[in-house]
Amino acid sequence: MSKALFGCLAIAAIIVFIALIGGCAVAGSYNRLVSLQQKVDQSWAQVQNVYQRRADLIPNLVNTVAGAANFEKSTLTEVTNARASVGRVQMTLDPNKAPTDAAKLQEFQQAQGQLSNALSRLLVVSERYPELRATENFQNLQAQLEGTENRISVERGNFNAAVQEYNTAVRTFPTNLFAGMLGFQPRPFFQSQPGAEKAPTVNFNFGSPTPAPSAMATATP
Amino acid sequence: MKRRSAFFAVVLLATAITGRAAEVIPPKPDRYFNDYAGVVSPAVAERLNTQLAQFERDTSNQVLVVIYPKMQSDSSIEDYTRRVAQAWGVGQKDRRNGVVLFVFVEDRKMFIQVGYGLEGALPDVTAFDITERHIKPRFRVKDYDGGLTVGVDLIRQAIRGEYKGSGRTNAERNKSSESGGTAGLLIFLFALVLFLIFVRASRRRGGYRYTGIGGPLITGGWGGSGWSGGSSGGGFGGFSSGGGSFGGGGAGSSW
Repeated sequence: MSKALFGCLAIAAIIVFIALIGGCAVAGSYNRLVSLQQKVDQSWAQVQNVYQRRADLIPNLVNTVAGAANFEKSTLTEVTNARASVGRVQMTLDPNKAPTDAAKLQEFQQAQGQLSNALSRLLVVSERYPELRATENFQNLQAQLEGTENRISVERGNFNAAVQEYNTAVRTFPTNLFAGMLGFQPRPFFQSQPGAEKAPTVNFNFGSPTPAPSAMATATP
Repeated sequence: MKRRSAFFAVVLLATAITGRAAEVIPPKPDRYFNDYAGVVSPAVAERLNTQLAQFERDTSNQVLVVIYPKMQSDSSIEDYTRRVAQAWGVGQKDRRNGVVLFVFVEDRKMFIQVGYGLEGALPDVTAFDITERHIKPRFRVKDYDGGLTVGVDLIRQAIRGEYKGSGRTNAERNKSSESGGTAGLLIFLFALVLFLIFVRASRRRGGYRYTGIGGPLITGGWGGSGWSGGSSGGGFGGFSSGGGSFGGGGAGSSW
């Protein structure tokens, strides 16, 4: 009788011990996942910042360029439209949390990519207006725009690195056993632009619609 | 992973075909002003180096000037120089207040990389103004001394008010903590000597014969460490990075 009771107690103690160890392991992994996820969200906020910085530059740029004698209007409307569509996409995103839906991020990236293309075309077209390019105002704006594109590529890279670290943690054993249950899903990241892996072709025909390789074109990783 | 190795294969193939050299991240400089191209007069180089060392003492901002003959990368100058500045860790870690002025003489290109913490004090427009309207005209007439003197002055002016320094550069702080380490070692050796003397004395008192173990140990200890004193590296005006980071701020020009 007492022997059976002792056996039961021993088994119960072992179960409690295993549960404790397992609980500690889960708690440790959970904390790690939380901090990795926060890092992803932080770097997403940085990405949003630098894109916002670019959007803020555009009205000034458009005004400066529009002031130049008979500047090609279609290029300007293209930039304005692209910026507006970026704004629309941005409205649908939570600014404090990185997108969990790959399609959402894809949409965001596409809208921003269109704006990048429109801007680089604007700079290419401006080559035909030497008196505009000679103004200090335009040169300053161009420097700011280039700096912003640099920052965008840096922050996108940081964001992708953070997501990669988080996704690796979510997908590897033993974290993968409970990450899903606790609500940690792998996050989407920026895809490199289609065609970006190819070397840029030099295009001397500045009037054609394809963006020529400029400082702007190289800014997208 | 597969995609990445494919990417590397493409890169290798591309470099093989075009025969261009792969990218080189140069080693971290140990001074503030570094003329690897030999275009600046030694007196000016020395003066600017002293100025920049004093600037770190006063403001904790680390400003570096590096002049290379050629850029060793196929990437764009803004991308390459950012990665170099990041790899060197110019600026203090918590303030991220580093600035590096890169000059590539044969490429006729320069770029000011600005750390995260100084993007407000030295915005892209200011950096562009410095390279385009102050350095570039002087470089065009091969006045490297004048261009760099003006450039360093303007960078210092722009970021002077941002942070307050501790009165010492990183290199000086590292050195003093190093000598703190040797002081600790000396104290330890002193304690060891006392201990051995004590042990020997107690042994003698206990009637043991003197074995002579203590002697050589003590002299070995003194000879090996201590009095030769502080390291000779670094020297006055040496640069030691603080772990700053760069986010793509800054601007450049070609002349």
